Amino acid sequence: MYTEVLEEVICYHCGDECSETPIIHQEKTFCCHGCEQVYELLNDNQLEEYYNCDLNPGISPTDKNFDFLNNKAFRDRLITFSNADFSKVSFHLPAIHCRSCLYLLENLQKLNPQIIKTSLNFGKKDLTVWFKEDQLSLGALATLIASLGYEPHISNAEEKPQNNDQKKLFLKLGIAGFCAGNAMLFSFPEYLGIDDGSLQALFGYLNLALGSVAVFYSGSDYFSNVYAHLKLHKMTIELPILLGILVGYGRSVFEIISHTGAGYIDSVSGLIFFLLIGKWFQQKSFDFLSFERNYKAYFPLVVTKIANGKEETAPLEEIQVGDRLLIRNQEIIPADAYLLKGQSQMDYSFVTGESELIPIQAGQSIYAGGKHVGEVIEIQINKELNQSHLTQLWEQQAFKDPNHKTENWENFANQVGMYFTVILLSLATIAGIYWFNVDQSRWSNAVVSILVIACPCALAVSYPFALGHGIRWLAKFNFFVKDIQTFERMAQVDTLVFDKTGTLTLQSQQEPSVHFNRDLNDTEWNAIYSLVFQSTHPLSKQVKKFLQNRSIIPLTEFKEISGKGLQASFDDLFVQIGSAKYTLNKLNTPEGFISSETRLFVSINQEPIGFIEFPWENRPGVEGMLHSLRHQYEVHLISGDKKEHAAHLLDWFENQDQVKFECSPLEKMEYIQALQKQGKIVAMIGDGLNDAGALKQAAVGIAVSDDHLHFTPSSDAILKGSELPRLGEYMRYSKFGLQLIKASFLLSLVYNGFGLSYAIQGNLYPLIAAILMPINSISMLVIATWGMNWKGQLLSRSKIRIKAE
Amino acid sequence: MEIMYLMIGLSLFMAIGFVIAFVWSIKTGQQEDLITPAMRILQDDQKTNKL
Repeated sequence: MYTEVLEEVICYHCGDECSETPIIHQEKTFCCHGCEQVYELLNDNQLEEYYNCDLNPGISPTDKNFDFLNNKAFRDRLITFSNADFSKVSFHLPAIHCRSCLYLLENLQKLNPQIIKTSLNFGKKDLTVWFKEDQLSLGALATLIASLGYEPHISNAEEKPQNNDQKKLFLKLGIAGFCAGNAMLFSFPEYLGIDDGSLQALFGYLNLALGSVAVFYSGSDYFSNVYAHLKLHKMTIELPILLGILVGYGRSVFEIISHTGAGYIDSVSGLIFFLLIGKWFQQKSFDFLSFERNYKAYFPLVVTKIANGKEETAPLEEIQVGDRLLIRNQEIIPADAYLLKGQSQMDYSFVTGESELIPIQAGQSIYAGGKHVGEVIEIQINKELNQSHLTQLWEQQAFKDPNHKTENWENFANQVGMYFTVILLSLATIAGIYWFNVDQSRWSNAVVSILVIACPCALAVSYPFALGHGIRWLAKFNFFVKDIQTFERMAQVDTLVFDKTGTLTLQSQQEPSVHFNRDLNDTEWNAIYSLVFQSTHPLSKQVKKFLQNRSIIPLTEFKEISGKGLQASFDDLFVQIGSAKYTLNKLNTPEGFISSETRLFVSINQEPIGFIEFPWENRPGVEGMLHSLRHQYEVHLISGDKKEHAAHLLDWFENQDQVKFECSPLEKMEYIQALQKQGKIVAMIGDGLNDAGALKQAAVGIAVSDDHLHFTPSSDAILKGSELPRLGEYMRYSKFGLQLIKASFLLSLVYNGFGLSYAIQGNLYPLIAAILMPINSISMLVIATWGMNWKGQLLSRSKIRIKAE
Repeated sequence: MEIMYLMIGLSLFMAIGFVIAFVWSIKTGQQEDLITPAMRILQDDQKTNKL
């Protein structure tokens, strides 16, 4: 016999560290029964290959039951196809992360013969299942998948899947490439000077056919966009581009039909191809993230309803005024209601940002979005779902108008585009009139060359490439920007507004501090540990973590008194934990003392002992970030919390006008509006539902998310919490991107200037102009790509350096 | 030079064939998921008959 001492026992299934007493099964260690069960299930079904694809690939499963999906409302929404033999359903499984997941999920039919086949889309984390619904219900299928550790995310009815026009763009891009390539081929004889009349004519007509497809099919978006903007009396950068294309194409048609030349269809279709590549490149989509999410996504999908004295589950949408619901510990209140039975500690932190729990007695009102802490309560709904206190926020203008962020905002390209078009058109007209009167053989050459060479395709190419690279680089740093327009707005921001709770401050990672009147002996500590072990209150959990190595002793007369605390007897000890009053402790708070902590008081045998303090603390690195941001931006702080909870942060906000406390979600939104009225371009950085309005109102709303990137309020960008200290660098990167575009635009202006000076004199042949044009575009592409990658490399190196330090 | 007509005909025929293949691949959604098939092909053959 020998005993093996392991430093750290790793769960064979999920790779987590096991507790002191791991579960051992077939010489393998598991952290919990859930993991062990998954292993057993896979092993019994010859799926142990799962563990060979990747090391400890599993996810600790949940025992959540998805039977509510059998409800007709859910079933009809989820099942995409159904006939007598099989049904087809798609689940979004956020937990998918490796090759093993793919192996397991595509072999589901081995676990249950009613599953016909499965197909996984790894990028979108979507699993499509074909199964026999008459023998395996939808709920049972979802429960099976959840029991493997892949809990399906059932989206709300209003969460629409992101539709994309990518297919159409791909088609247009492919066709444009085909046209451009073949047109070049057919233009060769012209460049080489092969002189054969009939061949030239054939090539000409073939080119014409290809060019027409490229212009009118692949370039069709330019026609519709320019038309739409002209109707609004707006000139965008697309207008001169379309002019360049049309003039080039028109001239080619004329030359080919009149047999006076070969035209330059190759350049025109090549240009369209380039422009479409740019459009494709700028459309980086993060399929696994959702930037559009409203309050309903935070609510449970089903609730427990009491009807005719019986409990039954019902989809949230079916809840009406007057219904009575059961709400368990940690569940969210779906609509405004009265508390009928029981007592609750309501946690409104998610809705208001306030960190203190609010005690609620029977008969009092509770508001939607609050999280119930305590024993099971019964509530009666008194307002409809979409009319509750919380949802009023979504009735604001900013939410109703999806384009409010872009409406009054002119991006650089369009600002320039307007002047550019006017100058270009007047130049072409003047040159045309001049040459018409002086030398009639030159006027058409001059006009065509001017319009073709000055076509601002350089800007149209450098734009999508620079900004597209920008959002790709930021995504590498876990900063996901919705689109390139957001990236550009980020560069223009001059005011930053931070939320406090959850954004700048976190529930502390630090050890809680103990403030007891006397030292406790081991038995007393064990008693406290055993007591908190019985409770799921957030503070109890923290104490449990803090007192890790204590042992549990048997207890009697355990009682959890909602809103007050816990009590129990251990042999001759009677221990109480909870509020100061409940435990007979005195709140000895010196005058002027600002508490930024949560305290848990203890008494033993009615003797007040003291308290354990759980500090809130700043997110690591935020002080440095605020310090550096202050020089470049106007920095504001808004919070739903009380002022005393932020004493340690206030030092970083020099001007007290720029700090506001006890804001409701609506007030936060109005705060942003007020700043915007002063002409500021605001970025809001927040995390919770209480910031949703402000995030929506601001030019750039950045949602900070700690663990689950897939659970953030509606926003323009999602930033991982640990990256927040580097926010300033990322904002500067966006500024760099815009500067790069401006610089390359200037360069192309110089470039065009030379060309134009020849073109105005009528000395530039359209053919040369048509060759210069793609060269210009390619050089812009190279500058944008190289510049953004260079700066991105610098960013990633500085990140590694900070980590090393 | 007459051979040119034949060659152009052939080249166009081939090129249009590729375009049709491309359009077909888009329409049937083959370009939608470019990650999973690459992973799927690396999966070992399934040891199904191991008893």
